[in-house]
Amino acid sequence: MALERKIQLAAYGLFIAALFLAPAFGDEFWLNRIAKYLVYGMLGVAIALTWGYAGILNLGQGLFFGMGAYMLAMSLKLSSPTSLAQGSDTPVPDFMLWNAEPGAPTDLCCINKGSVLWLPFQHQWFGLAMGIVLPVVIAGVLGAIIFRKRISGVFVSIITLALVLLVRLVLVDAQPITNGFNGLTDLGWLTIGGIEFDPYSRATYYLCAASLSLTLIAARLLADTRASLILQAIRDDQLRARYLGFDVPVYQTFFFVVSAAIAGYAGMLYVVVTEFASPTFMDLSFSVTMVVWAAVGGRSSLLGACIGAILINMIEAQVSETEALVEAWKAIIGLIFVLVVLFMPRGLGGLAHSLVARFQRDEQPSVSATAGAARSETA
Amino acid sequence: MNQALALNGLSVAFGGFKAIKNVSLSVASGELRVLLGANGAGKTTLMDLISGKIRSTDGSVRVFGHDITNWPEHRIARAGIGRKFQIPSVFRDLTVEQNIQVACCNKHPSVFANLRFGVSAEQRRRIAEILDLTGLVAVARKTAAFLSHGQTQWLELGMLMAQDPKVILLDEPTAGMTHAETSKTADIINRLKGRHTLLVVEHDMGFVREIAQHITVLHLGEVLAEGSVAEIETDARVRAAYLGSKGIS
Repeated sequence: MALERKIQLAAYGLFIAALFLAPAFGDEFWLNRIAKYLVYGMLGVAIALTWGYAGILNLGQGLFFGMGAYMLAMSLKLSSPTSLAQGSDTPVPDFMLWNAEPGAPTDLCCINKGSVLWLPFQHQWFGLAMGIVLPVVIAGVLGAIIFRKRISGVFVSIITLALVLLVRLVLVDAQPITNGFNGLTDLGWLTIGGIEFDPYSRATYYLCAASLSLTLIAARLLADTRASLILQAIRDDQLRARYLGFDVPVYQTFFFVVSAAIAGYAGMLYVVVTEFASPTFMDLSFSVTMVVWAAVGGRSSLLGACIGAILINMIEAQVSETEALVEAWKAIIGLIFVLVVLFMPRGLGGLAHSLVARFQRDEQPSVSATAGAARSETA
Repeated sequence: MNQALALNGLSVAFGGFKAIKNVSLSVASGELRVLLGANGAGKTTLMDLISGKIRSTDGSVRVFGHDITNWPEHRIARAGIGRKFQIPSVFRDLTVEQNIQVACCNKHPSVFANLRFGVSAEQRRRIAEILDLTGLVAVARKTAAFLSHGQTQWLELGMLMAQDPKVILLDEPTAGMTHAETSKTADIINRLKGRHTLLVVEHDMGFVREIAQHITVLHLGEVLAEGSVAEIETDARVRAAYLGSKGIS
């Protein structure tokens, strides 16, 4: 037990050290790309928390990611130079002018019916705060409804899946204030305390690395609490947990909300790194892809799911850019998924876990007799 | 006498079919009461009603004077009722120790009260004690899914000890057990007597004699008879309805 703990600590330490050492090995372009993968890593952590620990398979995590992204993108859009050069004293997004009715005043208050919603986003802190607050509130309400109604298993997946598609539809339809299919592009840079986060700078990379590290550590600590143990108990047998006196929906909603907050945070970082927000964040395929990352990395391991997300994206980029494989790369990625699901159902994290267990058995022959007996019984 | 559990005119109907009809029952504090009855007599349904799994259509349930009729399950549990299911129900992916630890957390059951690490020294001592009482020390680190049937039953009893409810409902605690396992279970249950009030559904008459003081016989959703083991064994109505002419074998 203690040895396992030490190895786990070492793995986290090594991973975080690697994050901060990476800038020594590549140029700004490469770092920007890795920063994007680190954001995906945060999504892996968010999925592992709900899927692995709570047994809630959310097929609409993109909803919270997209919300975070759009909230910050709205603020950054208003701070972009083009929004300030539209012939008014206050910033106005360019796409609103393109579609404005003749004679409409060039001001956020009334250029179109919904534009007033944009007003508070002139303050960057408002966009930053809403990037977390909105996913948290929506997840809280959604979780309270779903879990109070005792909906579980595949039905939660169907509801979340339907919801992300619904919101995507509304987002595209609200073209006057969201720029529809085109999303929000041509954004300004995030500025905090005088530091400008140019996407192709080390500062932005370190922001992502620090955010991922903090998320991992916080999620790990959360997973070590008694509340997490009770959550896992609820995952195994809801009814039993109820009869022990636990208010099951509150536990499920709490962890669902934490996961949504992480996804919202990741969405904001993604906007900083890639300088756009688009309805594709709420595509079904993106939300499903996140689940695949977590499955490959190991859904019951926070670090595993995180590494899974980063690794798959690195392999994907490598393979898709190799000339000989341009036609075949999707098949290769698909094959990797199939092999992992067939031969490592618990993913990379599960594999590491079994290796540690085997190592432990070899190390301590005195214990191995009982452990071995226990294992052969279980086999 | 101090009443731990009092049912008053409890009834439930499923689409016109009255599964429980006007059942009144009173169990004194510290008593062990056995519920006897043929299949379909309503024993498990009665437990479901008390623990909140199904809602009654009439009547009331009181625990030490508090009316808990039709409360949500977790609030009934917090009011002091613990339950063991007929099909043993434990947290299969957690270790034996973790299972008992979860049950220990029920003194402060909210999420925020549990956003802390580890267990207190007091709880650790209690967990060790429970593992010892239930004979699960050797398998404490084992995942619960890999326990034998008997061990799973004992683990669930251990979880009840950790939960420490005032009233314990046991639904066929010896179902599917070997003779040796049954007598160990009787030991565990006898240890719970006095400290807790118990209501036990059981078919095995040998086992009932080992643990019972009072027996209540249910028949077709109604209380047919109530009394000591000897009284029930000689009751003509019980013989006719349940035991058969040969008596308790």
